[in-house]
Formats: sequence, C-alpha cells, structure tokens
Amino acid sequence: MARKSKGRQKVEMAKMAKESNLQVTFSKRRAGLFKKASELCTLCGAEIAIIVFSPGKKAFSFGHPCVESIMDRFLTRNPSQNHSTTAPLVEAHRNASVRELNVQLTTVLSQLEAEKKRGEVLNQMRKASQTQCWWEAPIDTLGLQQIEQLRVSLEELKKNAAKQVDKLLMEASNPPSFFGTSTSIGGVVPFNAKATGLNASMMPPAGYNPAYGRGFF
Amino acid sequence: MTRKKVKLAFITNDSARKATFKKRKKGLMKKVSELSTLCGIDACAIVYSPYDPQPEIWPSPLGVQRVLAQFKRMPEMEQCKKMVNQESFLRQRIVKAKEQLKKQQKDNREKEVTQIMFQSLTGHGLQNLNMIDLNDLGWLVDHNLKEIHNRQEALKERAVSQVARAEADRMVQSTVNVTPEKAPTAFDATVENMQRQQWFMELMNSNEQMNFGGDDMMLPFGDNNPNSSWSNSFFPWDK
Repeated sequence: MARKSKGRQKVEMAKMAKESNLQVTFSKRRAGLFKKASELCTLCGAEIAIIVFSPGKKAFSFGHPCVESIMDRFLTRNPSQNHSTTAPLVEAHRNASVRELNVQLTTVLSQLEAEKKRGEVLNQMRKASQTQCWWEAPIDTLGLQQIEQLRVSLEELKKNAAKQVDKLLMEASNPPSFFGTSTSIGGVVPFNAKATGLNASMMPPAGYNPAYGRGFF
Repeated sequence: MTRKKVKLAFITNDSARKATFKKRKKGLMKKVSELSTLCGIDACAIVYSPYDPQPEIWPSPLGVQRVLAQFKRMPEMEQCKKMVNQESFLRQRIVKAKEQLKKQQKDNREKEVTQIMFQSLTGHGLQNLNMIDLNDLGWLVDHNLKEIHNRQEALKERAVSQVARAEADRMVQSTVNVTPEKAPTAFDATVENMQRQQWFMELMNSNEQMNFGGDDMMLPFGDNNPNSSWSNSFFPWDK
C-alpha cells in the first residue's frame, strides 16, 4: 500500500525558506501553541498570555483570564492583583463556563474520532469487496459491455426501490390491524373509509419523491 | 511521554498537577521559540503559576517588554481583532470540530449507501430499508446512472472522432473518383460501418477484461443467494 504522506519529519530550526510553507507553518503552529496554552490553563490552573505577530504583521494573542490583565500584572510587577469584591464571583462564573465548554469540546472530538474510525472500517470493506466484484470498481475503469450491464442492473434497482417506497407508503396509511374494525354504530368503519381515500391519493406516479435533498447531499 | 489520553479538566492530585505543569510549561516555551525561529516572527509568553509569584517568560524580560510595547502601540481594534481568551478559543474549536464531524458523517453516509446499493445489486432484498435509506439509495442510483451515461457518451464520441479522422484522410486521397453529391453519403455510411466495427472491437476487449483475475473471483450468483431474483438475469456468467 502506497503511503499518502511521509509522516512526521524532523524540521530544521531555522527560518523557513519557502514563503508559502512559512505562512502555512505559522497558521498551524500558532493554533497548536494556543491549544497547548489553553490546556495548561485548564489542567494546572495557570494564568497565561501569549502574543505572536504573523508574517503579515497581524497580532494574534491568547490570554487567560485575559491578555490585558496578564500584561498589566507583568508590567506593574505588582504581586497583589484584582482584589475587588466582585472579582472572585466573576472568576467563578468564568471558570464554570470554561469547564462546560471543555466538556462540550471533548464530546464533539470523541464523536469525530468515532466517525473517522467508522469511515476507515467502511473503506476497508469497500476495498475488500472490490477484489471480488468488478461492478464496484470506479465507472471510469469499466469496459463498454460492463458499463451496459451495470446500467441495466441499476435501472432495475431503481424500479424496485420505487416499488418498495410505494409499498411502504401504502403500509403506513393502511395499517393491517385496523382493517375490519367497526367503531361506529352508523356502520361506517372510519379507518377503512379513510384507508380507501388515502389509497387513491397515495398512488404516486412511477418514481418517488425526488426531494433527495433530505438525503445525504 | 505517556501517550495516554488526558482528561481536559483541572488535575486535582497536587503532585500530579505540579509535575504536569512543569512538563507542559517547558513544552510550551519550546513551541513559542520554534514558532518564532521557523517563521521569523516576534513573540512572547508569560506564564503565572500558583507555585511562584514570579512569572515564567519567553524570550527574556527585555524581549517580553519589547513585544508588549509593540503590541500596545497598535490601535486597539487591531489588538482585539485576533485576541482570544479561554472561552472564545474553546468556542472556536468547538465550531470547527462540529464542522469536521458533519462532513465526516456525510462522507460516511455516502459510503454506507454505496454499500447498500452494491448489496442490493447482488440480491439482498430491499425490505430492511426504511424510507430515508430508500430515498438516499434512489439518489445514489440516479447519480451513478448519470455517470454511466456520461461515460458511454464519451466513449462513443471518441470512437466516432477516431473514425471520422481516418475517413477524412482517406477521402482527401480519393476525391478525384467521387462526385460532390455522392461524397457525404459515402462518408456517412463508412463512418457508420467503422463505428460498428469500433464498438465490436471494444466489446471484444471488454470481454477479455471481465475475466481478469481468474474465474474464482466471481461471486457464484444464484448458488448461495435465496434472494437472487434479479442477479441471474443481469449478470449472466457463462461458465
């Protein structure tokens, strides 16, 4: 199996030569740096500020609790900071929402990982079946007669699927258990009557609802 | 490096927390330094811990002051544009992760429906599918039919253009023998003839293709499948 990329490589610690690579590196590493800083704050209760200037001279900054307070704390060299009465409350509130966000993020990330694994499994299955079934190969690789055979089979499948859809729709409007029950004294069986009415209108023309947008596309 | 997944929450164990702080702070400083060197940019980091009133910093007290001054010199709007704190940073990450999740789910669904489609072709019944599956299946079948149609058109075009070119060359050479009125019809007939030959040749070629890998790779249709209602008629293997 051919490798898609070389994997992690050692990088030389000098200014990158290619401008395009430099910009990409900056973006990725800046994001990673902020992520590490955020984790350090959460895990160990640290208070951090990071300021970086992009190659385009833009200022990116991360600060917990916020960039300004850390900057002031550093510059004034005053060991005792925000000692107002509201500060502890504000801080507690902020910490609570941060905790919640971390939980939310962890959840989404684990869902993402699960879906990625599922994708891998599906890929493997497809690969395995492709060795046995020629029709599962990409259409571009198939010969004229193969394509024609496939086309015919797909057309048939399309018809069968449409029939199945109709069948399901009918079953939904005509639940078998209701047939034969008479619930009114007047002799009219409401469900039967409804059923026949629905029956007539439930016969869609050949084919099914083309609103495939509800599907995965 | 432990490589064990660490829960993203405050470490309650004091010694574990202190050890983690020491390691991660060191790593953080290394990362800032690398970013600055690799990209040739200015940066600074200030880390306050509960263990020390004095902050740990990078690159140096003077270096930090210089960067802070540079930062403060910018208009406030520029300072704030790309500024984040824990909350906003986490929100951004959540949004991005959700987008990735949605895309992955969509891709997986497509793979899943493709699998259903191929299984249905080999005789698996459609009874187990619900409306959503059937709708998605219908979409995918149509999509594939479109692709097949395009492919067939492309192949025909290729055959016709090859033939037309060959005939055109021959026509140029024999114009003296053919009257202008007759020329088009003779041309058309020859094209049609050549077309048929071309398609026949392609059929022969694809017949050879079908047997790649040997016969044992072919699924034994009709043998194991109780539901092989269509497969026999549409995949007639002459063994």
